Amino acid sequence: MIGRWYRDLAMGARFTLNGGWAGWTGTLLTALGVGLGVMVLLLASAAPSVRAAAQDRMEARAPAYLEEGARAAEDTVLANPEIVEYRGDMFTGILLEPLGNPRADVHPPGIDRLPKAGELYVSPALRALLGSPEGALLAERFDGASVAGVIGTEGLRGPQELYFYLGTDALSQDPDRYAVSGFGADRPASGMTAMLVLLVVVIIVVLLLPIAAFVLTAMRFGAESRDQRLAALRLVGADRAMTRRIAAGESLVGAVLGLVLGTGFFLVARTFADDVRLPGSGVLPADLTPVPLLAALIVVLVPASAVLVTLFALRKVEVSPLGVFREGADRGRRLWWRVVILAVGCAVLFVPGQGTNSEGAEWAVAVGVAVALTGFALLLPWVVEAVVGRLRGGPLSWQMATRRLQLNSGIAARTVSGVTVAVAGAIALQMLFSAMNDQVPSAGDPDPERVRMLASAMVETGAEGTEFAHGIDGARGVESSFPFLVAHLPLADVPPRADGPQETRAVVVADCAALDRLITFSSCSDGDAFVAGDRAAVRPGDRLDLDNARTGDPTAEPRPWTVPPVREAQVADALAGQLPQGLFLTPSAFPAEELESLESTVLITLDGSAPDAAEHVRNHVGVDSPAIYLRALDQVSGNSALADIGDALRAGAVLTMLVIGASMVISTVEQLRERRRQLSVLIAFGTGRSTLAASVLWQTAVPVVLGLVIAVAGGVGLGLLLLRLAGLPVTDWWGFVPLVGAGFGVIALVTLASLPYLWRMTSPEGLRTE
Amino acid sequence: MSGTTAAGNTGALLTATRLRKYFGSTAALNGAGFTIDSGEVVAVMGPSGSGKSTLLHCLAGILEPDGGTVHYDGRELSALSDAERSRLRRGDFGFVFQFGQLVPELTCVENVALSLRLTGVGRGKAESSAMEWMARLEVDDVRDKRPGQVSGGQRQRVAVARALVAGPRLVFADEPTGALDSLNGERVMELLTGAARDTGAAVVLVTHDVRVAAYSDREVVVRDGQALDAATGIGGAP
Repeated sequence: MIGRWYRDLAMGARFTLNGGWAGWTGTLLTALGVGLGVMVLLLASAAPSVRAAAQDRMEARAPAYLEEGARAAEDTVLANPEIVEYRGDMFTGILLEPLGNPRADVHPPGIDRLPKAGELYVSPALRALLGSPEGALLAERFDGASVAGVIGTEGLRGPQELYFYLGTDALSQDPDRYAVSGFGADRPASGMTAMLVLLVVVIIVVLLLPIAAFVLTAMRFGAESRDQRLAALRLVGADRAMTRRIAAGESLVGAVLGLVLGTGFFLVARTFADDVRLPGSGVLPADLTPVPLLAALIVVLVPASAVLVTLFALRKVEVSPLGVFREGADRGRRLWWRVVILAVGCAVLFVPGQGTNSEGAEWAVAVGVAVALTGFALLLPWVVEAVVGRLRGGPLSWQMATRRLQLNSGIAARTVSGVTVAVAGAIALQMLFSAMNDQVPSAGDPDPERVRMLASAMVETGAEGTEFAHGIDGARGVESSFPFLVAHLPLADVPPRADGPQETRAVVVADCAALDRLITFSSCSDGDAFVAGDRAAVRPGDRLDLDNARTGDPTAEPRPWTVPPVREAQVADALAGQLPQGLFLTPSAFPAEELESLESTVLITLDGSAPDAAEHVRNHVGVDSPAIYLRALDQVSGNSALADIGDALRAGAVLTMLVIGASMVISTVEQLRERRRQLSVLIAFGTGRSTLAASVLWQTAVPVVLGLVIAVAGGVGLGLLLLRLAGLPVTDWWGFVPLVGAGFGVIALVTLASLPYLWRMTSPEGLRTE
Repeated sequence: MSGTTAAGNTGALLTATRLRKYFGSTAALNGAGFTIDSGEVVAVMGPSGSGKSTLLHCLAGILEPDGGTVHYDGRELSALSDAERSRLRRGDFGFVFQFGQLVPELTCVENVALSLRLTGVGRGKAESSAMEWMARLEVDDVRDKRPGQVSGGQRQRVAVARALVAGPRLVFADEPTGALDSLNGERVMELLTGAARDTGAAVVLVTHDVRVAAYSDREVVVRDGQALDAATGIGGAP
């Protein structure tokens, strides 16, 4: 049995290898198609390694802070991560300061020593940005720090990450807070919510399924010329099973060669990985290492699929010594089993209780999405056949195209199935992604004329707070500023607990002009007091302790302050989430000078007409100001995991579309090659090349249009099911428009790219060989 | 001559009785009979569309008749499985068609050796046997060329070599010279019938060319789906 399989597969392989130039061309086209798919599969199989390696490096550079209560020694390193925001992008770095003379080996990975105060180590990407005109404004923020070196890749998440280590002397003001024992802390991988897992699973299925569809299609290239060969084999005595095995052997060569080519493509792509501008931090070549199990699966499954696909494709083909006949060719394709597969996929997604929080639900979703998308791909050949069977009339090119499709629409439909699956999946994803994005809280609609920021710093006295506020006020681009103080006061009549957080109430102190920006009220004069939020939490007559620095000291005597009569107010919508709920007091209503710990905050209104006003304010504060917290209002606060997934989706979608486009060019050339004899006859009859080109266009366009119609209907349906699973409303009904546009763009490019081959094939020299 | 012997004739290598074959509503064979003995060369003649190729395909088990039976060496072909009929084509039957039906990807010697390879004979031995036949049919000089690189006459002689290499008892030849000029045609026929007689193989030779039919021992004419012995004018078989 095994010997027979081996002999027949080997014979098929020999047919391919001995096939001369024509045979080799066909095999090479198959291998190219399979190779492109294998490359993407290998890249995908390396994704877990990329993530793990990046996570390892991020852990290795994370400061390992001293235990709670431990004090900094004289030779300790101080470190504080700093977030930098520049023109909408955020990146991080670490401020470093050695106390005394710490051990030489205590430094983060990627640099060989700690930077001195005013020295800067930067990642290559940040160095490039700082040196470019686009980064000139950012360079000012580092306040003249000299670049002492470039951070090595071992200290970076990826080659394109913006990252820095800045030497400072600002941390020693509070050494116990910033003291580290070294670098390399366990950072739990940022956990993903069930919804994010759902999104990731769907992305993987949606991006990989078109590739798998194309790999399977590529394995059936050259089927027409193969038929003649199989008939000749039947004539000399090959039985049906033998013939199929021989045919499978032929496909096997293309698949194995594709595997080799794909591995080569992958290795080449890997070499250039750090040069490719990808969203996020990019990928280091060394990280792009396929997970061994996944790589082994690819190596086994691709050739095995070639054999199985061929055997499956030939199951209804009667190869007789007189030729090849397709069973049921006159009966047409059957619809029912295609609908059943689609229905099964949808049913899996529709099962009650299959919510995103259910254990293992992501696998059910993956299976459901994969089966449903497969159903769309399988529906396409039936739809194409049903529609083209009804097409009549039209110009000659249209007639030639529709007649050709009526004769055999299977090849065209199979070729388009990848695009259908990709677009349907992308539409569903877009709907899910948009809905999830809309769940991220936003501070309201950005108003370019009224950009606002909040700057805050911990101070010990109101005078210090005023000084801080005046400092900010002088920044370029500031139109107006409204300073206020924030303090958290313990309840005076509740004794402090030594073993837990103390119950406090928030107090905001500001003049009426500033309060007018923070809360809504009918009138205000000095001496007024307001309460916003839970009225029951702070009532007139309650006593708060002005000794707000006594936290954790149960023996300290409180210095009570009694809450005066208050009026109700509400925090302005734009500041919701940015300001504490509690008391809002005018200066005369509260003895702020008696506090020992308070936060001085400035609400800044920027000059909306000045470009980069926010960047100028950030530059005014500088990177080397660990005690100042600066944030912009009126803009969506990012969800980094969602943003990362969005980046990955866009990168994957671009790669998938490119691979599908390239594959379709190969497929179209292969079809033209198979039909070169018929084409040469048409040319000999005097058919114009433009007519043939238009015919090729129609033959590609008709199945693609039908495929996109299915993709839109299916993608929206699938998106609705996924949103139902995630419990989210539809927020983007028209997200499919750009995707459909991209689909048409791919078709136009494919047709254009295949025209030179058609031209050459129909040239006098090309015709002579036929 | 056994053209009119009864069905089940113990001396006949292959016997067909009352064959019917329809393509749609058109009857290609309408009760045709045929018989051939070992070593005999029988020409099947008739005008275009008379059903002679269909008769050959039914006799060889390539087409299954809608009615009637074909017995080869005591076995009814329609009762055999596809694998058994394929085995017959590999060992007992040989085929020569108008355009050779060679596998374009293989060299000439590989084409000739193909049926032996399919039976499990090793490559060296199969190609050695193939070369003997190619030398006999005067095409050993094109052994390493592909079918597309040789002339039509050489291609048909390679096809004849392929048909004979496995030592068949019965060769089916459908217009073997139809695509050749008369000189090449005659040479192919000489070599085909000569080699068949040397090995004792019977030949069913479908042709519309009387000069080709002249190489046969007996002629059967197919007309309106029925086979008639050309000499007696009565059925080619009961």
